[in-house]
Amino acid sequence: MRLEKCWFCSSTVYPGHGIQFVRNDAKIFRFCRSKCHKNFKMKRNPRKVKWTKAYRRLRGKDMTQDSTFEFERKRNRPERYDRNLTENTLKAIKKIDKVRVDREAKHHQKRMKKDKRPKINIDAQELKQSLNMVKAPDALRQDLLKKVQVQKQVDQTYAMEE
Amino acid sequence: MAAALASKCSRVGRSFLGGLGNNLSGLLSASHELTCNTFLSQQQRTFIQMRTILKVVDNSGAKKVMCIQALKARKKGARLGDTIVASVKEAHPNGKVKKGKVVYGVVVRAAMQRGRCDGSEVKFDDNAVVLVDKQGQPIGTRVFGPVPHELRKKKHVKILSLAEHIA
Repeated sequence: MRLEKCWFCSSTVYPGHGIQFVRNDAKIFRFCRSKCHKNFKMKRNPRKVKWTKAYRRLRGKDMTQDSTFEFERKRNRPERYDRNLTENTLKAIKKIDKVRVDREAKHHQKRMKKDKRPKINIDAQELKQSLNMVKAPDALRQDLLKKVQVQKQVDQTYAMEE
Repeated sequence: MAAALASKCSRVGRSFLGGLGNNLSGLLSASHELTCNTFLSQQQRTFIQMRTILKVVDNSGAKKVMCIQALKARKKGARLGDTIVASVKEAHPNGKVKKGKVVYGVVVRAAMQRGRCDGSEVKFDDNAVVLVDKQGQPIGTRVFGPVPHELRKKKHVKILSLAEHIA
């Protein structure tokens, strides 16, 4: 028995659920429910569909890298049955889940938190960093700013007309 | 069975139209009941029955066969893993089987989903068949594409051994 991931929304597919679609190039797509399956048939890209994990990870709304994800990686080597190992694994699964959920909550909090710096500091930093978008960099160089005397030539014709 | 299916499609289509609004119902007349399903490229996947054309995925020489009969006297038709009697419609010019020959085949890929014993369902991209003789041994020597492991239960072990990928 193996818990798979839905290709579209990345949720777990438990045994007895979902549909498996085998394409002719032998790539297997597993779907957790008909919602994901129908979206796949519509040729939607999961990275563009807002409620999928692929979209959320891509946009940084959910954690992408964490050591708790290493535990869930697929291993193809079968383990010899050992009762102690099984017991410890089951306990560890619960703990790891709790840790992962806590870390995700913290990630969400950090994302939602307001920036504490006063607005003038943020603006000053932005001005310093991005002023070249408004003014050309050469315009600020002092050695290029020379004061030149310009002779004002009064046009004789205008004076006559008045 | 086809008539019942068409009426079912029309019922589904009409409720779909009702959801979309009245402006579309004027465009799609009653004769286009089946085409309204292509709105979301969804097809009603059904059994393999008489006159179903299947792709041949071995090197026996045939390319397309048309099903004549689903063996085991199934009322509705053949599914994944069943044997069928078929007539060769299209063949390679120099192959073991020629056009017009009546052959037996084992369905190795079916677009209709088949339930597995763990409760999930599998479906493939197309309908494909491997030609066999009356004893069940494949005529060709190679099989292309993925095959399901439902064949093991049906004792088509030779086909499984020739397959390049078992789904």
